[in-house]
Amino acid sequence: MSLSSVSRLWLFAGAVLLMTLVTGIPSRAAGIPGEIRIGTLYADSGPFATSSKSQLQGLKFWVDEVNRAGGAYVRAYHRRIPVKLITYNDRSSTTTAATLYNQLITQDHVNILAADFGSVLTSVAVPIAQEHRMLLFDQTGTGATFFSTKNPYIVLTSLPSSAEWPYSLADFLKSQPQITRAALLYATNDFTGSQAQTLRQRLHGSHVKLVFDHGVPTSTSSYALLLHNVQAARPQALIEFGYPNNDIAFLHDLQASGMKFNMVFTIFPGQLFALMESSVGPKTLAYTYTYPTPPLLVYNRVNYGPGLDNFRRAFRSAGGKEPNFLNIAGYNTGLVIQKTLATAASLQQLAMRRSIVSFSGKLHTLNGTFRIDPATGAQTGETLPVGQFIPAGKGLAVRMLYPPEVATGRPVYPAQ
Amino acid sequence: MPRGVWFSVGVVLLFVVLPFVYGNHDLLFSMMMYLVLAQGINVLFGFTGYLPFGYVGFFGAGAYGMSLAILLLHFPPFAALIAGAAAAVLVALVLAPLLRLSGAYFAIASLAASEVLYYVISNPHLTSITQGPYGINLAAVYDSSASYAVMVAVLALALGMVVYLRNSRTGLALQAIREEPVSAGFAGVNVVRERTRAWLMSAALAGLAGGAYAWHVSVFYPKPVFDLNISVFAIVFTLFGGVATLSGPVVGTLLLYGLYNWIGISQPQYFQLVFGVVIVALVLFLPNGLVSLLRRVGANVP
Repeated sequence: MSLSSVSRLWLFAGAVLLMTLVTGIPSRAAGIPGEIRIGTLYADSGPFATSSKSQLQGLKFWVDEVNRAGGAYVRAYHRRIPVKLITYNDRSSTTTAATLYNQLITQDHVNILAADFGSVLTSVAVPIAQEHRMLLFDQTGTGATFFSTKNPYIVLTSLPSSAEWPYSLADFLKSQPQITRAALLYATNDFTGSQAQTLRQRLHGSHVKLVFDHGVPTSTSSYALLLHNVQAARPQALIEFGYPNNDIAFLHDLQASGMKFNMVFTIFPGQLFALMESSVGPKTLAYTYTYPTPPLLVYNRVNYGPGLDNFRRAFRSAGGKEPNFLNIAGYNTGLVIQKTLATAASLQQLAMRRSIVSFSGKLHTLNGTFRIDPATGAQTGETLPVGQFIPAGKGLAVRMLYPPEVATGRPVYPAQ
Repeated sequence: MPRGVWFSVGVVLLFVVLPFVYGNHDLLFSMMMYLVLAQGINVLFGFTGYLPFGYVGFFGAGAYGMSLAILLLHFPPFAALIAGAAAAVLVALVLAPLLRLSGAYFAIASLAASEVLYYVISNPHLTSITQGPYGINLAAVYDSSASYAVMVAVLALALGMVVYLRNSRTGLALQAIREEPVSAGFAGVNVVRERTRAWLMSAALAGLAGGAYAWHVSVFYPKPVFDLNISVFAIVFTLFGGVATLSGPVVGTLLLYGLYNWIGISQPQYFQLVFGVVIVALVLFLPNGLVSLLRRVGANVP
């Protein structure tokens, strides 16, 4: 029996359609990744271990949470895809970190690259990510030199660039007419040196004069002599910028010296409150000033992820301990990644960067408002207010002082 | 053909070819960097007996010499690399009186010198010159391929230097000084000159490695390029392979740094245990390094 030419045509069309369906469906499915690979480093030894592990813990908490919900929604594929976190231990070494960042990119072919804690371990990732055209989710590396208009492959997720940290502090000092003489004591490294520079610039020309301005090595562990020098300059406010070890040594020596200053400011009691309180005691911290960060600074009015109180409960029930700022910073990086995957049209790195710019300023998380400079990728939201530790019962509470929109009270000045 | 030339050519070719088959170029770069530093240690310790714990000082001087030549003098990278080596040699000249010490005194003094250098470089009052503690940014000249090629060339130079010392009167003179300086002097060896020459050659290698490293990473702070661990690694790799040989530091670095990275990547929880056991076993059973094992069975090791 012979088929007519029309029947043959229909038969051929049907066969083509069948082949398209049979071969086409698997090929589309094959294009969808089985998992989204996120690569990052941590340090389990060396000077950055404590901070790095806390940050990683926060990021892992986010990964577990997302995977319990079936994965992160990826707009590029219109479905949820499980997230796999690939981590390597850089032992606080920049040379090892460089090798491992490269490993994540070239051998593990991660979809998303997140940096280790802090500026030192992030510094080596910046050129590597740029060279491989990978968008670096810089979690807490705030070094000003990382961000330039020539490098679109970096986004600072969980802290503002260090040069911007003292904005509120400088404005607060300028808003206090009784403070006319201030002393600045800082550790000479990129993180605190850039803050000292900003503070100088913003106080310049105001009624607040820097009567003492001195940098010390980051390894400084004794401030006794320096405190006598500061006292000789008779400042009304003493600003100390340092890493946690500096702040602890400074506060210890201040307590031991018996000196009193009307206002004392340090950085890390606001970030690592539990550590600082156990190291120097609540009595030493009472009435001192700091940059409060979550969880001391409570953001419950959020439009993405849990508010701070809900996060705190979930974190406690999962790990049995109170979250610190670096836990929150790592978790917040996860939220930024999640939002990026949910909004980017593709997993191409610059498409992700464009999507981040598109939601910049509109994302309110437990870490504050996520806003980046669209030209450089530096964080300009998540600003750090000024707060003061006030005795409350047997412990301390933080009173927000500046800027006025977050203020919960007036400063106790001079300190008691 | 001097002994060791083919071995050196083979090592250099390995690092020329490997980037085409293995994507983690930073690992290869770091391995070359430690190969150069291990050979630098070898030139000094292997041939003269001076163990410089502060060897990283030359590395840091090279990194900063190169960077400042680019940032302040606007040198092109290749010329700046030479400036980095010159900076390390200059530091070595200033520190040459340390060679009057010996043994542990020299080791500790060189360590102190490298710390002094670090504090000078990172001094905030020198920020306008050295960028102080705030770090270097060479992003404008960043070129990972060119810096990789430069490190291959520096590796070739380091290996060539050791081949020269293994096959020349200078090398013999240095080994004579290592064994018995007074007798070497009586035999006509200019002890001070030859020892200083080895010191400067060793410093130049570290300076070149530091310069290439600075170019390769392009963004760095003072501490990582004056990190004592760099000295420790280079010394351990050299001792692990065997000093005063060409192949010892190469074998030591390839095996130990390879192991360091392999364990660090695959089994990080066992890293310190495995690394420690390997080093303890070596010190107990092979104090003259791995190549001494080959010599025991009669192999002609370069």
